[in-house]
Amino acid sequence: MAIRELKVCLLGDTGVGKSSIVCRFVQDHFDHNISPTIGASFLTKTVPSGNELHKFLIWDTAGQERFHSLAPMYYRGSAAAVIVYDITKLDSFQTLKKWVKELKEHGPEDIVVAIAGNKNDLGDIREVPTKEAKEFAESIAAIFMETSARNAVNIEELFQKISRQIPPLENTDADSHDSFKLTRQPPPATKRCC
Amino acid sequence: MSVEMMMQSCLMDRSSSFFKLIDTFSTEISELKQEMVQPAREPETEILQGLEGEVSGLFLQSSACAGVPGVRDSGYDSLRRRMSMLDRLMQTHSVWLLLSLSDDEARHILQPQPAGSFVVRRCYKLQKKVISLRMDSDTLIVRDFPVKESQYTFSLEGSGISFADLFRLVAFCCISRDVLPFTLKLPEAIASAKTPTDLEEVAKLGKGFWDSELCNKNKSSVSGETACDGSKQRLKRSPAVPFTRTPSELECSQSNGALCFINPLFLQTHQSNPSPKKQEPSPGDEGGGSQHHHRALHRTGQQQGDSSVFCRKTPSKPHISVSRSESERSPPPRPPPPRFGSSRSAVLRKQKTMPETVCWIKTPQEKTSLLGRLGSSFISLSPSSSPPKKFSKPILVPSARNKNSSGLLDADGIRCHMALDDQTIEDAVSWSLAKLSSRNPTAMENGSPAHEHCSTGRERLSDISISTSSSDSLDFSHSFPLPMEASPSKTDRPTGDSSQEEEEDDGINLESDQEVPSPFKSKKQNSAGTFVLPRALRGQLRKMSDVLNSLMTPERRAIRKIVEQSRDKGTYFGCLVQDYVSFLQENRGCHTSGLELLQTLRQFMTQMKSYLLQSSELDPPIESLIPEDQIDQVMEKAMHKCVLKPLKPVIEAALRDFQLSSGTMQQLKENLLLAKAKQPQEMGVDGARPPDPVAIEKIRHKFNNMCKMYSPEKKVSLLLSVCKLIYTIMENNSGRMYGADDFLPMLTYVMAQCDMPELDTEIQYMMELLDPSLLHGEGGYYLTSAYGAMSLIKNFQEDQAARELSSETRNTLHQWHRRRTTQRTTPSVDDFQNYLRVALQDASSGCTAKTLQVQPYATTEDVCQICADKFKISDPENYALFLLTEETTQQLTLDTHPQKIKAELHSRPQPQIFYFVYRQIQNFPVLSEQLDDNTSAN
Repeated sequence: MAIRELKVCLLGDTGVGKSSIVCRFVQDHFDHNISPTIGASFLTKTVPSGNELHKFLIWDTAGQERFHSLAPMYYRGSAAAVIVYDITKLDSFQTLKKWVKELKEHGPEDIVVAIAGNKNDLGDIREVPTKEAKEFAESIAAIFMETSARNAVNIEELFQKISRQIPPLENTDADSHDSFKLTRQPPPATKRCC
Repeated sequence: MSVEMMMQSCLMDRSSSFFKLIDTFSTEISELKQEMVQPAREPETEILQGLEGEVSGLFLQSSACAGVPGVRDSGYDSLRRRMSMLDRLMQTHSVWLLLSLSDDEARHILQPQPAGSFVVRRCYKLQKKVISLRMDSDTLIVRDFPVKESQYTFSLEGSGISFADLFRLVAFCCISRDVLPFTLKLPEAIASAKTPTDLEEVAKLGKGFWDSELCNKNKSSVSGETACDGSKQRLKRSPAVPFTRTPSELECSQSNGALCFINPLFLQTHQSNPSPKKQEPSPGDEGGGSQHHHRALHRTGQQQGDSSVFCRKTPSKPHISVSRSESERSPPPRPPPPRFGSSRSAVLRKQKTMPETVCWIKTPQEKTSLLGRLGSSFISLSPSSSPPKKFSKPILVPSARNKNSSGLLDADGIRCHMALDDQTIEDAVSWSLAKLSSRNPTAMENGSPAHEHCSTGRERLSDISISTSSSDSLDFSHSFPLPMEASPSKTDRPTGDSSQEEEEDDGINLESDQEVPSPFKSKKQNSAGTFVLPRALRGQLRKMSDVLNSLMTPERRAIRKIVEQSRDKGTYFGCLVQDYVSFLQENRGCHTSGLELLQTLRQFMTQMKSYLLQSSELDPPIESLIPEDQIDQVMEKAMHKCVLKPLKPVIEAALRDFQLSSGTMQQLKENLLLAKAKQPQEMGVDGARPPDPVAIEKIRHKFNNMCKMYSPEKKVSLLLSVCKLIYTIMENNSGRMYGADDFLPMLTYVMAQCDMPELDTEIQYMMELLDPSLLHGEGGYYLTSAYGAMSLIKNFQEDQAARELSSETRNTLHQWHRRRTTQRTTPSVDDFQNYLRVALQDASSGCTAKTLQVQPYATTEDVCQICADKFKISDPENYALFLLTEETTQQLTLDTHPQKIKAELHSRPQPQIFYFVYRQIQNFPVLSEQLDDNTSAN
């Protein structure tokens, strides 16, 4: 199985739970080679997707929220961006829209955008209606999910959806049998499998 | 280099134990090589066509056309230059270096492959890299041979031969089976690739190569094996016919195993000279093939000097190569001819006058020397080979006056471009030069003859790198006075970049600081000490230092590579680094404090390190170049260079701005003035006589140097040297030893006398930016002391007895201590996620544990409330939170902070197991076994 590296960056307002989402997602696959750092801002996790393995290289921009102008560094080379908002904070949904706009203008053309309405365990103090968020996501053709990092709701699923939206490697099989005529470059992120 | 001297030294050294093993090895390997055939070539033209011959000899030719004369295409020769075995391996590592491969996958891949096929992967069970080798049986299809990684070297477990990186190890195993049942076999598509493009195509397939037609097609063509069976034989030894003994069967016992630094260039040479045609032995051939190897050795460019050491036999006309059918004892194949016929052959002819080596190996064999293949190798002996102890004479004195060698040297210089290892060697040379110059400062001064050598790149490691450790260097300087004297000529050959760069990078020449050992320096020495050798052996292993020095170079190489990549905006990593650097240059205002700035920087560097490790951006992966336990350190150095170096002025300016704007600068200056006027006694100095103004000036100078460094690591080492100097002065002044209690006041006094307000930000810089893992030793201790001293000065007031740290200082120190100690054991997620694991102990149900979110400043009262809530306790007033350790149980008072307690417990040098238990106040003792099952230690 081929391994592809997918760079994913998490964007969103302060306190919406970006780090929690990443931690929830990565935690059950703890690579002992990593000494996680305080802030845990770069983590990886490999998941199977179809006949490929996807290795998510996750940039959690948590530490950089005040440094808005640093974010492009991270999303520029990303295959996907997860923009997180807090369903209990309307402001965070407004911030999300700004991020969407910025990604459209400055992000990579084919970046997969996923919108995560986090903290859906706190439905009783919800400020952002699911419907509204969902419609917004559809309008920009983004993945949409309400998640709860706390209760592990929809976290795996979120990343699975991202995986599925990543276009598969073009004709991998054909390529490998086409032994001597291989001149096409595989995407740069897939050279190595570890 | 004077040829006479060379011969002399050879003469003198020929009995040295050192050669014994070399010869033994060479015999071993030459036996292995016997089936390899050599290209036909006229002996005469060979010398004249040195360049061409050597080039062709160096590279593995396509086995398809092996031995078929005239199958070369024009223009092929130039391509072959870049197609050595090592190159093949390096370019196609994506195929065979599959670190994440599981046992099953490895078996799956290798099963259809012929015996000898291999992959290198990381075995999860062993937590080690292994060479998974396709065996020749159907019962045991794949066997894993673990790779031992000691500091700076890679070797096969059970083998005594170590290599600077994984590629070299594998290249060697492709030639010599060593402890393996047979040699490694590269897939045919790789072994027979004619051009780098072919290799690229193979490499592109990555792991998929093994399933591809490219792999299978070639395999079948090989198994067809009629037309070119010879070539197949070369590539794959029949495992049933073990020709060689493993090194452990030699005289080197494994525990003291031999160490070998092999230039696979020459390993390659003999495998790849495919010519079935025999040659007649030339008349002058006295001793079999060794001469050729000696010559091959000579061709290692920079290693010239070294090689001459090994030349203790007269060179002769090229010897024939032998086909496999010939006797086992026949000499190894002929090496390629020298490239620069005229100058080279002159030297070689002179060497003819050298006497034969006296061989005192137990099993005398022909002097087929491994050396030719080893190229820049250094081999150490195990003590069991019991060589004579005397090394009364220098190996070789490179003579500065010998100008007539320069032509030759130039030739070597050119040749060196071809050598795979030239950079490595160069690095080793310069590194050892730096080492030496620091040890032998006078050497720097009598430099004029040196320059001649400088330009030529003729340094000989054996001469210049005396040792990596000071104790050794003493021995060596006694036993080899001449090399020591000769070495000055090398010392100022800076090799331009590496070693000097290292110092220049940091803004100062460290020379003046060498008197005091630095914490990290000693670390290096320790790491060198991984090749633990019995003391008694050291004298015999004078080449050992060369080995060690050479082995330092992969680190430098890796750092250079990372730094280069960080400047290349074409890579994601380069983008990140460059963007970050320019971001900080332009937006330093976005930070609210110096502390925050530094912490963000630290975080960025940590992120980059883990990104590089986790992604495939480094190619080849750093794991193949640097032993695993060294990777972090190497990465850290690289980060300092590519992030901190360009940012140092920005950081300094920003820190100063913060100091100015917050008014701390003003206060600091005033307090310094105040403190400077104080007598030592007023600063708490009790008894010890303080340094005099001259010494203070010297310390100031050291501090100034410290400020010039960008690397926090180097800064700390200079700080440590200051502290040691102060200690020394205290002791010298009074003749007695002082402890830490006397030291802190003295350091405070000295720092006040130095009157350098910038020290405050310097200390901050070090504390925040140093990799926490580097802070366990003395460096961390003295950094803490300096922080304490500075904070005393900052808070200095006239009416205050200035002996107590402010609570704020304590707090900072405590936090900092925690930060640098939490990483000691791999933290689990709850360590940084503000979680606390609490067990409910209940008479009815035993223990149940829950992970609670507890803020760092939550009190025990808060936690009890959470517990009552989570565990649904109806009578919380009867419950309390207890801390259980192996011996004790204590009830926590309501105003304590469980997270802080946890942090404190974690930060202890010997962490013990502890639990937080929520239970009724009058209760029974808890069994910790019971807890073990239900709660993991926090």
